[in-house]
Amino acid sequence: MSLVVQELSLVRNGVPHLGGVSATFPRGQLTAVIGRTLAGKTTLLRVIAGLQAIDGGMLDLDGRPFGRLPAWKRDVAMVYQQFINYPHLSVFENVAFPLRKKRLARTEVERRVREVLSTVGLADFGKRRPSAISGGQQQRVALARALVREANILLLDEPLVNLDYKLREQLRDEFRSLFSTQEHSVVIFNTTDPAEAMMIADQIVVMHEGRIAQIGKPADVFEAPVSVAVAEIINDPPMNILAGRIDGDGLLLGEGLRLPAPPRLATLPRRAYRFGVRAGELAPADEAPLVGAVTFSEVSGSETTLHVAGEKGSVVLQLEGVFVMPPGTRIGVAIPADRLFVFEDDGEGRLISAPAAIGGS
Amino acid sequence: MARIHLEQVGHSYGGGTYALEKADLVFEEGLTYALLGPSGCGKTTMLNIISGLVRPSDGRVLVGGTDMTDVPTVRRNIAQVFQFPVVYRSKTVFENLAFPLRCRGWNTTRLRPRVEEIAELLGMSKRLGQSARNLTADEKQLVSLGRGLVREDVAALLMDEPLTVIDPQMKSDLRRRIKQANARTRHTVVYVTHDQNEAMTFADEVLVMRAGRVVQRGGAQELFENPRDTYVGTFIGSPGMNFMAAERIGGRIGFAGVALLPATAANEVPDAADLRIGIRPEHLAFSNDGEQGIPASVNFVQDQGSFLIVDLTVASQTIKVKVRREVRIPSGPARLSFPAERLRLYADGALLTP
Amino acid sequence: MMPRFYSALKYAAVLIWSAFVLAPFMWALTTSFKTANGVTGGPTYLPWIQYKPSLHGWESLFGGAGGIDIVQPYIDSIIVTVGASIISIVLGTLAAYGLSRFQYRAGFVKNSDIVFFFISQRIMPPIVLAIPFFLMLQFLGLLDTKTGLIIVYIALLLPIAVWIMVDFFDGVPRAVDEMAMLDGCTPFEAFFKVVLPNSLPGILVALMFCLIFGWNDFFFAFTLTFTDTQLLPVAIVALNSSVTPWWSLSASALISVAPLVLIAFFVERLLSRGTLAGAIR
Repeated sequence: MSLVVQELSLVRNGVPHLGGVSATFPRGQLTAVIGRTLAGKTTLLRVIAGLQAIDGGMLDLDGRPFGRLPAWKRDVAMVYQQFINYPHLSVFENVAFPLRKKRLARTEVERRVREVLSTVGLADFGKRRPSAISGGQQQRVALARALVREANILLLDEPLVNLDYKLREQLRDEFRSLFSTQEHSVVIFNTTDPAEAMMIADQIVVMHEGRIAQIGKPADVFEAPVSVAVAEIINDPPMNILAGRIDGDGLLLGEGLRLPAPPRLATLPRRAYRFGVRAGELAPADEAPLVGAVTFSEVSGSETTLHVAGEKGSVVLQLEGVFVMPPGTRIGVAIPADRLFVFEDDGEGRLISAPAAIGGS
Repeated sequence: MARIHLEQVGHSYGGGTYALEKADLVFEEGLTYALLGPSGCGKTTMLNIISGLVRPSDGRVLVGGTDMTDVPTVRRNIAQVFQFPVVYRSKTVFENLAFPLRCRGWNTTRLRPRVEEIAELLGMSKRLGQSARNLTADEKQLVSLGRGLVREDVAALLMDEPLTVIDPQMKSDLRRRIKQANARTRHTVVYVTHDQNEAMTFADEVLVMRAGRVVQRGGAQELFENPRDTYVGTFIGSPGMNFMAAERIGGRIGFAGVALLPATAANEVPDAADLRIGIRPEHLAFSNDGEQGIPASVNFVQDQGSFLIVDLTVASQTIKVKVRREVRIPSGPARLSFPAERLRLYADGALLTP
Repeated sequence: MMPRFYSALKYAAVLIWSAFVLAPFMWALTTSFKTANGVTGGPTYLPWIQYKPSLHGWESLFGGAGGIDIVQPYIDSIIVTVGASIISIVLGTLAAYGLSRFQYRAGFVKNSDIVFFFISQRIMPPIVLAIPFFLMLQFLGLLDTKTGLIIVYIALLLPIAVWIMVDFFDGVPRAVDEMAMLDGCTPFEAFFKVVLPNSLPGILVALMFCLIFGWNDFFFAFTLTFTDTQLLPVAIVALNSSVTPWWSLSASALISVAPLVLIAFFVERLLSRGTLAGAIR
C-alpha cells in the first residue's frame, strides 16, 4: 500500500526540474525529502498534487495510476511554506471547507473540525479570522485543514521554514504525534534542515539537481551518504570536503596537510580522492596539522560554528556551547583521520569508505 | 558616530500602557547591539525612538551628548536598513551606493574610492556596473546595507530585521558579509531581530526584550550560561534550559530527594517562593557509575544527526538531555549526573546569584 | 497634553476642509430655491430673511413651465449606467481572472500587453471614437436606443474594470486557488468560492468607478441619441436658454449628483470596515 512515482521528468525552458525521479512512499510512514533550494523538492510535490504537468513518468497509488486525474479529484492535501489560508473565512470555516466540499453531515463536520483544532492547540480560536492570529497559529490552521481530511496523500512543503526559531522547535516536537493520526496516509515533508528531517522522518529521500541522490532510513543516510552532495546536504553545517590523495606516506589533504592513514584507508589504491569530515568531529587543538584564522563565528542554537581559513585548507568547525570568537583569532584544528569519509574524485563523488557508524537511536 | 543615550526613555502610544517602559540605556560608540524579542516586545518602538520616527512620551534621546529628542529623523544623521530591500531599480549598483554621497554634493572622483571600498567589503565589486533591477533579493539587501555603510559620519546604523525576506539558505552567507562589513567600518549598529541565532552571531551585546522591558543585556555566552530569568533560559539555546521544581533538603537545595546546591542564596528569599533549578540540556550527562546521579527513565530519543535529544522523566518531571551521537543511551532506567557548577537557581522566575 | 493639542488641530483641519468641500453644495442648495431676483441680488444665504424662497427651480425639472421633465431621462440614465456597469464588471472580472492566472501568448503579445491594450482604449479622446461608434450603431440599427448606449458604455467601462480587477487578483496568491482545488474544487468553484469573496473590495471599487464614469458621460449620450432616448446630462443641458436659469440648473445639479454621493458613501463604509482586507502573508 504505497504511492509510487516512476521516472518523473520535467524540463522547462531548457532547465531540467525533474530528471527521472523514481521513489516509493509507503502509507502510514513519514518521508522527508531533503535538498537545497531548487533541488526539485517543491516541483515533486506539485507534480504529485496535480498542480504541475509533467513531460513523462508514472504516478500510482496502491497500484492505481492517477497521473491523469485533475488536482481536485486526487484526494491530496498540501501545506505551503507561506501560511496560506482562506482569508475571508474564520479559522473554523477554513478547516471545515474541505469537509463541506465533500458534503459530509453537519454534525460530522462540527465534530471533526473541533477534534483537529484541539489537536493543533487552536480549540479556542475557531471564530477568529486568519489575519487576527499569529504566523505560527496561521500555519497550525493550514496544518489542521490538511489533517482534517485524512487524505490519501499529505504533502508539506517546508512548513516550518517561515516560523520563528523557538516555534519551529516546538512544532517539530509536536509533528510526530500530529501525524500519528494519519496512519493510512502517505506523508511527504520537504525540508532543507537535516536535523528536522532526521528527527521526524521514517524514510529520507535526498534530492540533488532534480534527481534522487539517495533513499534510506535517516540513520543510514547520515552514517553512509552515497556521494559528496548527499554528505553536504545531510549535515548542518555541511560536511567539510577537502581534495587530496593517498600515497606512500599516508594521506595528503588540501594544500599539503599530512595525516597518517588509518588501517581502513591504508589499503585503498594510491591516487586522488575527496575527503569529508563532519564539522562536529573537528576540534580545536594546540598541536595540530591545520592552523588558521577564524573568519566568522556563528551561533546556531546551543552550538557555535567557526569558519577557519588556513594555509593548508579551510574548514568549518561546530563546537558545543555558545561563545564569540573574534575574527582573526588563530587556532589549530585537529582532524581525526579515522573519522574521514573518502569519496571518488570526480563530478559525482561516490562514497568509497565511511567511518564506523557511531551510536544513534 | 556617537554614543547614544536613552535617558529615562519610555513610550506609551496614546497614553495607555507602556509599549516601552521607562529605562536608562546606553549604546556605546562603535559597538554592535541586537534588540532581541518576539513581536510586540517593544524592540521596534525603541528603534523608532532612536531614528526619530517616534517621539518618546518620556525621557530624552542624547546622541553624542546632544539632546536630539525633538530633532526630526532627517536631521539625525542615521542610516537605516529595513526588512524589505530598498534599491533604486533604474540605477546601477554603483549609483545606488553613491547616492547618499551625491546627495551631500560629493563629485564622482571624490566618491569613487569610498563606493569601491564598500562594494569590496560586501563582495559586490563585480556587480558595480550592473543595473539594480536584476539583482536577487539578498543582493538587493546588501545594496541597501551598503548605502547605510557608505557614509562615514552617520551617528548610527539601524537594521530592522534585515534578513526577513532572504531565502533561508542565503541567510548564513549574508550574515557573514554583514558582520564582516560592520567589523571593518565600526559604525554603532542597532540590529532588531526575533531570531536568537542572528542576534548572538551579530552582536557584541544582546538586549533581550519582553513586554516593553529589557530583561537581560549581555554577550552571547553570558545569555547562554547565566540567563537572568527563566524566559531567557528557554528562549536562548536549542532546546531551551530545563527548569526543575526544587525543594529545600536540610540546609541545601535539591530535587528528587537529592541535595545539589548550598542554600546560601535561597535563604534570602521567602519560603513561599517558587524555587527552580535550571540546567542546560547539554550540561547534563549519563552517569555510568551505578550509584551516582539521580535515577531517571528514558521516554524517547530524537535523532538530530550529530546530536541526540533524550527525553527523560526524573521524579515525575520531564527533562531534556542533549548528547553527542556517539554517547550510548541506556534504554529504560538511567542515572543522570548534575554538575554543580552548571546549576542555576531561580526564585519566582529570577536568577539568584550565589 | 501634546496628543490632545494635536487632535484638536486635526479636527480643525477636517472642519475647514469640509466647509471648503460643502460650500458649493450650500450654494447650489440655496440657489435652487431662488428666483431671478434672488440670484442677481448679490450673495444671500438665509431664506425668508435675505430672499424669498420659491419652488420654481425644482418645478421646472418636473414638467413645470419653461422647463423639462427630468423623470424619464433619470430612469434612462439609471438603466443605461447600471446595466453597462454590471455587464462590464461581470465580463471584466472574468477577463481579469484569466489574465491574472494564465499565461497567454500570441507571437510577441503577452498578458501585460493585453492588459495595456485594454487601458489604451481610454487613451484616445472621445471625439476619435464618436464617428466609428455612430457608424456601428447605425449599421446595427441601435442609434438613439438605450441598448446602443449600453453597448458603447461597456466598451468604455470594461477597460476600467479589467485594469482594477487584474491588480486585485494578482494580490490573491495563486496558492489560494491551488489549495481550493486540492480541497476538491474545480477551477470554476475555486474562482467563485475562494478568489471572488477575497476580491470583493476590488469589485466594489471597480463598480464604483464604472457607475461614476457611466453616469457622468455627456459626450456619447449627446452624439448617439436624439429624441427617443435622452439621458440626464443631455436633458439638463436642454434647460439652458438665453438667460441662464441658475435655479433650475442648481436643482438639477443636486439631483444628478445625489446617487454618486450615496454610492461613494456606502462603498467607503464597506471598505473601511476592513473585514475584507486580506490575511495573506
